[in-house]
Amino acid sequence: MMLSITLPAIIAVLFLGGILAWLAERWKDGASRWVALLSLLLASILLAGYWPQFTDASRVGLWWDSLQLSWIPRFGITFFLALDGLGFLLLALTLSMGLFGLAATWRDIDFRRGFFYFNYLWTLAGVVGVFTAMDLFLFFFFWEVMLVPMLFLIAIWGYEQRLYAAIKFFIFTQASSLLMLIAIVALVFLHYNASGQVTFNYRELLAAELSPTAGYWLMLGFFIAFAVKLPALPLHPWLPDAHTQAPTAGSILLAAILLKTGAYGLLRFTLPLFPEASIAFAPVAMAIGAVSVVYGAVMAFAQRDMKRLVAYSSVSHMGFVLLGLYALNTIAIQGAVMQMIAHGLSTAALFALVGALQQRLHSRDMDELGGLWAGLPKLSAVALFFAVASLGLPGLGNFIAEFLVLVGSFDSGRWVTVVAAIGLIGAALYALLMMQRVFFGEAKKINTDGLLRDLNGRETVALLALAVGLVFLGLRPQGVFDTAEPAVAGALQRIDSALAEKSRDAVPLATSNAHSTEARWPHSNPEGGISP
Amino acid sequence: MSLLELHAILPLLVLGAGIVFLLLQVSFRRGHRGALVTTLIVLVAAALVCFQVAGLLAGGTSSIESTDLLLVDHRALFFCLLLLLAAVAIAVLGFNYLKHRCDRKVFADSYPEEFYILLLLTMLGACTLVFASHFASFLLALELVGLSLYPLLGFAVNGDRSSQREQLASLESGLKYLLLSALSTALALFGIALVYAAGGALDFAGVAAAVTGMKSGPSLMLAGLTLLLIGVAFKLSLVPFHIWTPDVYQGAPTPVTALIATVGKGAVVALLLRLFERLDLFAVPALTGLLAIMAVASMLAGNLLALMQANIKRLLAYSSIAHLGYLIVALLIGGSAFGIEAVIYYLVAYVITTLGAFAVVGLIADAAVELTPGGARPPSDSGSDPFHREHYRGLFWRSPWLACCLAAMLLSLAGIPLTIGFIGKFYIFAAGVQGELWLLLAAVVIGSALGLYYYLRLLLTMLQRESAVTAAGQDGVEIAVSGHAVLVLLTGALLLFGIFPQVLINWINAL
Repeated sequence: MMLSITLPAIIAVLFLGGILAWLAERWKDGASRWVALLSLLLASILLAGYWPQFTDASRVGLWWDSLQLSWIPRFGITFFLALDGLGFLLLALTLSMGLFGLAATWRDIDFRRGFFYFNYLWTLAGVVGVFTAMDLFLFFFFWEVMLVPMLFLIAIWGYEQRLYAAIKFFIFTQASSLLMLIAIVALVFLHYNASGQVTFNYRELLAAELSPTAGYWLMLGFFIAFAVKLPALPLHPWLPDAHTQAPTAGSILLAAILLKTGAYGLLRFTLPLFPEASIAFAPVAMAIGAVSVVYGAVMAFAQRDMKRLVAYSSVSHMGFVLLGLYALNTIAIQGAVMQMIAHGLSTAALFALVGALQQRLHSRDMDELGGLWAGLPKLSAVALFFAVASLGLPGLGNFIAEFLVLVGSFDSGRWVTVVAAIGLIGAALYALLMMQRVFFGEAKKINTDGLLRDLNGRETVALLALAVGLVFLGLRPQGVFDTAEPAVAGALQRIDSALAEKSRDAVPLATSNAHSTEARWPHSNPEGGISP
Repeated sequence: MSLLELHAILPLLVLGAGIVFLLLQVSFRRGHRGALVTTLIVLVAAALVCFQVAGLLAGGTSSIESTDLLLVDHRALFFCLLLLLAAVAIAVLGFNYLKHRCDRKVFADSYPEEFYILLLLTMLGACTLVFASHFASFLLALELVGLSLYPLLGFAVNGDRSSQREQLASLESGLKYLLLSALSTALALFGIALVYAAGGALDFAGVAAAVTGMKSGPSLMLAGLTLLLIGVAFKLSLVPFHIWTPDVYQGAPTPVTALIATVGKGAVVALLLRLFERLDLFAVPALTGLLAIMAVASMLAGNLLALMQANIKRLLAYSSIAHLGYLIVALLIGGSAFGIEAVIYYLVAYVITTLGAFAVVGLIADAAVELTPGGARPPSDSGSDPFHREHYRGLFWRSPWLACCLAAMLLSLAGIPLTIGFIGKFYIFAAGVQGELWLLLAAVVIGSALGLYYYLRLLLTMLQRESAVTAAGQDGVEIAVSGHAVLVLLTGALLLFGIFPQVLINWINAL
């Protein structure tokens, strides 16, 4: 394995960058921003070291890189980081959204800047850890590490109700993750009883053989933790508050990256570790996903607060992810992966735009806003672009994602898919209504003072970069699919063998997670398909 | 009593000799600093002697019976060492506390030296309790701890610069503890009498034989053991025997609060572990059932009541009730080696974290006393109460280092990774899963979620950007170098054992 030090280096760069940023601010006002920018760029360069694997169509094996060090031998816990295609995509999303959030809010933070960027980078470091940890204990460790700095971001730099929102966010996620911790420990314990080996290693735990009942309960433990993060319907109440009250950069992190950790966890851990239980649970999860789609859309439609609207639209969009993941076929899961990335880009941009408006007009209330297009032509145009991206305009990444999810799930759950498809209409309604209320119509009092500054160069470049990204994803999604394919296939292989065992009741459970060479989907063939 | 037996209890002898020496020293030459130095030397010497005795145990013999009364083994020595190290920190905190209050230059009739004598006496009791293998030594040690704690709890009455309110609270604290502790000792004593009546023995080995032959239904022996357990639960402040805790914690001088919360409880946990193991009480469902009920009640009630506290010491008192509840979960599977490991790890985590939290709180309060002008009887109105949550508003920006320490302690209490508290909680979960105690685990999760709320509220109060009480002189909290040293060590241990727990695990497993 080449470059095996790269993964810990990325995490270390972010951790140390955070500490440096804190110290730098004491030394010179405003220095922390540059430290944060530099460490993010450095981390991105390190990640770019995987470019050969990314472009290499003939790569073999699921894992691109891994590093395993002994940590707590008492429990067979190792410091085990590994990267595959899915991880790479999400790391790329994480770092680019980190850079975007930094650029979009370059001048927003006007007090305690050092500590802000400390928390900002530590959150990112935790997320990078989550996306690369292949030891369940380490995964849980990073899962928690990313929460505390996020809590501080909301609680210190947030808006009016920040304390309430921060505590609610933390208690929801922490309480649910304790359930996951119990499930992890129980899984390891059962595996130990069966095999005589204590290990938290993900790859070895894949071989754990569980009784159906135990598997179902453990699966629920994982599912609840991830569903809170996602968020799925009954567990979502933290999200609107946290997203609304967080500072703009915090909202961007939350929506673009932290929500994805839930989806990632479902795909990486819940499905492969508990295939039988996941099959049994799939109808429920799909129903939850579909209801989330519709509920999020309806709630978004009813909001006055623009940020809250975007927050609820996240519930709706992440519902598609849940639906796609539990459809348990390649097309839908690929759609879910695409949705994770596309939603990251579009929602981050929307939050940045709301933040920009808030900074200029000191209001997010759509009843007070109106007719902004005249005063802010650039900002309004960009907002229109991302609004239609969010509602799923063909040609943009979100369309590909939602389309694939719906196509894939139709087979698995017809009526559920129909319900979810209604959500698309809701998305059109709330997104266009937001445009109408904020940017068109009569100009309201709030923006008549004539001092409005349109997007400056920095903001424009940052937002346009995301727009280009979305267009690229929409027109040439193949790269994403090819990269995610091995991980998706690996998860599905376990599901399929569980299904086969269920139907034939004789075939032993396939425990290898080796790269599946079976073609499930024409797109995995690089020279075959004619991609748009 | 052979030389070997005497050698085995060398830590106790060192402590005893140290007490006599300190008494003589004080009667010839009073001096606050001198008393502190002697105390620290005695405590460190006792701690070093623990290692020496442990070396004695290495060759073949795993334990030495020093008469019928005391049994020295590796585990007891480890507990002893833990408590002695905690006492070192408490002595330093006590010095910082007394420095401003018992100033002999201003008040000729203040006696700060007594604090250290009483502290050493408490330690002697606690260490004896850890070594006890006979109900006589058990009771003796328990009473020694109790008797030296009463005057310590009421120590503020002696301190001349303590405010009237502080003195009254301290007195109340001492009296409450006196009454309830006496009650619990009486219960335990009655329990011991019943056990003796039923089993005809007072040493643990003899009682163990009687317990094994106990029939399954209600019996005199069971009644005795239950009463004994209730007496112990009083000391551990398990719900419903927790009533004394918040008032005693709040009123006592903060170093004494730390003492009662760490040494007082740690020694009793060690004793409980030994009692259950020696007497094989894990096999008695009535007792484990009783413990389980008390554990669930402690976790839920402790955390629920902590939600309503604005006083930090009361908050920590309720949170310590809850933490003892968590610890009992691990104790319940104590029949296995893993359960004991979990109990010990959690106890270490609890001691480090609780000590750290009280250290920060105490040092901040000491700084507030120092800053108050006028000398005698300073903070009397509740607005300037240094233990009120509002006193901590914006602390993070005024004194980042102190606030970071307290934040680390709070996160550790809440069980967030990178801290020892997380590993402790992990152990609790692992133990609960092994014992399939799902109901108890559910209580742990609910309790932890509740706990998060009040820990976070305090944490976020420290981080609040607008500081309403930024009056002049409130800019930063100045504390002494010795206080800083204690905090550095405790925070360092908290992070070290939180990030590299294997170090401590190896040690515990070698016991």
